[in-house]
Amino acid sequence: MSAANLAVDVLLIVGVALELACVVGVLIMPTTLDRLHYVGAATTVPAFCILAAVLCREHLSSGGIEAIAAIALIFFLFPVLLTATARAIERVEESED
Amino acid sequence: MNAFIWAATALAILQLPLLAVACVRRPIDGLVALELSGILLTATLLCLAEGFHRSFEYTLPIMAAVLGTISGLVFARFLGRWT
Repeated sequence: MSAANLAVDVLLIVGVALELACVVGVLIMPTTLDRLHYVGAATTVPAFCILAAVLCREHLSSGGIEAIAAIALIFFLFPVLLTATARAIERVEESED
Repeated sequence: MNAFIWAATALAILQLPLLAVACVRRPIDGLVALELSGILLTATLLCLAEGFHRSFEYTLPIMAAVLGTISGLVFARFLGRWT
């Protein structure tokens, strides 16, 4: 097994394991805002691990650049979405009280 | 099956508990699950594109990232207004 293949395997295992941790966090956390933290976490390290695994194979070909674009969109757009969701959670919980 | 196909399969299976959350809990909890599901879908499509070595499939994760964000914003807007 070459070093590149080993790196791809390790990065994919770490990425999937961290995504699993985020899913478990969404399942078991007590409040909605706590769950939202785990959604934010999923856009950072796990997504970049999967991107790094793809880049190990594709380098900076068109596929690699499109993979960078996809993960960059997630990384930069999802904080906006998470802020909007946190405001919606606040409004929903105010109306329930 | 290579490592990317295995990773895509695992990421697709991870969406099942999120579907259960969206079905069972409050709508706002379902929205949180939907947002995480969008991230997982983007990663799944990325792994599938690399696993099958089809360069044109790299467009799908970009579309999934954009549409996941827009749909989440729409749901957050209307859930916050209607409840």
